[in-house]
Amino acid sequence: MNTPQFDFYDIRVLKSSGFSIFIDNGEIEQISNNYTSGTACRALVNGSWGIVSSDNTRDPESMLFSAAKLSGQAHRRSPRPGIDLAPVESPSIHDLPVVEKDPADIPIEEKVELLLDIHKRAKVQDVSSSTVMYSESVTDVEYSNSEGVEISYSLVRTGFAVTAVASRNGVFQMGRESKFDVCGYELFDRYDALELAETAGNTARDLLSARVPKGGRMPVILDQELAGVFIHEAVGHAAEADHVAEGNSILAGKIGSQIASSCITVIDDPSMHGYGYYPVDDEGVESRPTTLIEEGVLKSYLHSRETAALFPDTGRPGNARSQGLSRPIIRMSNTYIENGDSSFEEMLSEIKDGVYLIGSRGGQVNPGEGVFQFNAERGFLVENGELTTPIRDVSLSGHTLDILNHVQMAARDMKMTSGRCGKGGQLAPVCDGSPHILVSEAMVGGSG
Amino acid sequence: MSSDINIIYDMAKKAQKAAERSGADEVEVFGLMASSVNVDIQLDRIDLAKESFSKGIGVKAVVNGAVGFSSTNDPARIIDAAKAATSSARVRHSDPDWTGLPQACEYRAVKGIHDPRIANIDVETCIDLTMKMIDGAVSLDGARPTSGKFTCVGSDYVILNSNGVEVREASTRIDGFIECRAGDGDEMSTAYEFDISRNFDIDFFNIGSEAARQALEGVGGVGVDTCKTDVLLKPGAIADILESTFFNSLNSENIQKGRSALAGKLGEKIGANGLDIVDDGLLEGGIGSARSDDEGTPSRTNRILENGVLGTYLYDKYTAGKDGVESTGSAVRSNYAQTTYIDVRNLKIEYPASDIIAETQKGVLVGSVIGAHTANPISGDFSVEARNSFLIENGDIGSPIKSMMVTGNVFELLHNICGAGRDTRVLGNIITPTVKVSGLKILG
Repeated sequence: MNTPQFDFYDIRVLKSSGFSIFIDNGEIEQISNNYTSGTACRALVNGSWGIVSSDNTRDPESMLFSAAKLSGQAHRRSPRPGIDLAPVESPSIHDLPVVEKDPADIPIEEKVELLLDIHKRAKVQDVSSSTVMYSESVTDVEYSNSEGVEISYSLVRTGFAVTAVASRNGVFQMGRESKFDVCGYELFDRYDALELAETAGNTARDLLSARVPKGGRMPVILDQELAGVFIHEAVGHAAEADHVAEGNSILAGKIGSQIASSCITVIDDPSMHGYGYYPVDDEGVESRPTTLIEEGVLKSYLHSRETAALFPDTGRPGNARSQGLSRPIIRMSNTYIENGDSSFEEMLSEIKDGVYLIGSRGGQVNPGEGVFQFNAERGFLVENGELTTPIRDVSLSGHTLDILNHVQMAARDMKMTSGRCGKGGQLAPVCDGSPHILVSEAMVGGSG
Repeated sequence: MSSDINIIYDMAKKAQKAAERSGADEVEVFGLMASSVNVDIQLDRIDLAKESFSKGIGVKAVVNGAVGFSSTNDPARIIDAAKAATSSARVRHSDPDWTGLPQACEYRAVKGIHDPRIANIDVETCIDLTMKMIDGAVSLDGARPTSGKFTCVGSDYVILNSNGVEVREASTRIDGFIECRAGDGDEMSTAYEFDISRNFDIDFFNIGSEAARQALEGVGGVGVDTCKTDVLLKPGAIADILESTFFNSLNSENIQKGRSALAGKLGEKIGANGLDIVDDGLLEGGIGSARSDDEGTPSRTNRILENGVLGTYLYDKYTAGKDGVESTGSAVRSNYAQTTYIDVRNLKIEYPASDIIAETQKGVLVGSVIGAHTANPISGDFSVEARNSFLIENGDIGSPIKSMMVTGNVFELLHNICGAGRDTRVLGNIITPTVKVSGLKILG
């Protein structure tokens, strides 16, 4: 076989092991262990990409040849203009999170005991069932490419989630709290898991007597978690340069424009030690923060090396991530709205009447049309500047740019929430965060 | 692929023996071997072709009725995985409700789930099919593709257990997805289309042209007023809503644990007259079909709703034992690295068909929804953003709708179904026509 002419190639070798415990209604429902390894070889030839991945590490050289063959086949049938990859400095790995307590050193029995205590604390009055999930994993990554980069690192992730379901007269409501970090078992020193469990139980119980609000347009205060979901879903996704390249982003052509009220500054920072942390991305680019929006002006997109070359002067690469052996695609990491200078109390007195929405059950966005929808976990009516009736089953929807322009105030109380984000069939660990924000007008959905 | 299945059988057998030696009372091993080709579309070009190969096992070890699980794709770690499953089972208390893994029995093979034309496909053919999808997407003036994906998978799996169950199955799947846009700025409209099959019978050009047509139709959307009205949910919309609000309540595990609004409702009317819902693990060519479920219980056809009356919940072997009934063959798994859970196999929604658009004086037609997964899976309350939607006036489809929310409760929705179209579609493992629901709230 002739040696193919690569424009670029890279090789990722992954090894990971995971352990998880699932407690349901106080019984250990499942304990599971997972050991995986695999290799993904990616080749760029004449502007087309080919990838070969295999669970069991085969000879990387023959995998690379097959990957180059795939690029050639794709190129012959669907020629792409040759593409450049933005040049990057050789990465170095520094400031890796230090694991203080290796989860593997903690006996299973001790973990189970803690999780059972978490379950007990979640069972406040009216809580009929609860689940507790714990997981730990260690992933070893080796990365090398045709430009001579060779790096390896290991990340430990630990987390837990507690869910409480309360029921009364056929009404069911749910509360959930979770913490996931790039760290070891010291997670449980950082956060009071028992208190979080009680919070989940109280949320479920309180929601039983909450009202479903009447929908409509009104002023809204978003708590840190929901505002974080908004900035991730509605702004972050639209700032992903692959969406921009596809003509599928409302932020296309808007670099340098005022797209949000001047109290909004948004950062994506993979070097921050949150759940979205990585030292280098999955094409070997060292991580560093990107300012997406500065005082309302769109400054950058999030890039891979391919899109950073395609859109010069719109930000640097470093956000290409992959789940396991999948192709790297542009993803967020730890994304947040920076602190403003007002307070929650000031917001209440500012809006007089409206709603306060808390927490998130997730959301979805169409980045091209800028339409989004997400559900708050709960909230309160705001009447005459005071929190009054508790509400539930309430959602927020509308146009991203409308909301961004209607942000009137940002508080000084930024908080981050960890989670997982799905895109193109791949899940990535991420964090998003925000201070409380006040939106002067938004569409609130509710069937009351 | 016959040699492949022997490789995976040998790995599974090795794990089974190791778990038995380490002291497990019962052992189940699921072994899977798969190869797939993906082709990605960016704009109107292919930007990537990918081949992947995976092979791995999942081991369930049972000690005194307690189950431990482990998985690996590393042949060198099979013994470690088997031992870890047994020692995990030992951490748990014995479970008096455990009635054992399924017993060996006869299985009925399902037709149409393995197509050698997909199992033996070459990359060039995959690329050609992807190009057809692009050709379709650019075939209508004013619409253009943004991104898309072609996937085909051939997989072989075995299920072995210590009661003598030995299931071998080979299956194939092929699917295409493409998204298109039309118009610019405030007028911009996007739409996607997909199709999925176990056989080499998908019209890829049609996937592309449908996505383009729907994107074009959405340009120039109007607003709507908040009201209660007749809402016609097209297959993609009703499938998404039911999956997020209704399936959870059919799951016997949730019934037993007090997390289902359908507890105690067997034999009761929970849906409209004429509404039938069937879950069929034996459907010819079904995406969820196989001779057995994923723990080796023979597949069967379960009548969930008959004329609106709730006939059964969905059971695996364990929850069935707890309720003293037979498993409905509803144990499924997404891959070898996860244990089984209870889910639908091929769910069919059936209701007498009529010309539902012509019969609607005033209402809306909803093509798809976003945000269904944010619904409350227990109470069944949902609030979703409607996409690719249109006004219906005097029996005709009118203007596209720019932005609208649809909100309601699935248990009310099931009672308020009052019509179905003649357009039944197979959307993966949900098969449904457009469903007409009266008095659903829309918010503009």
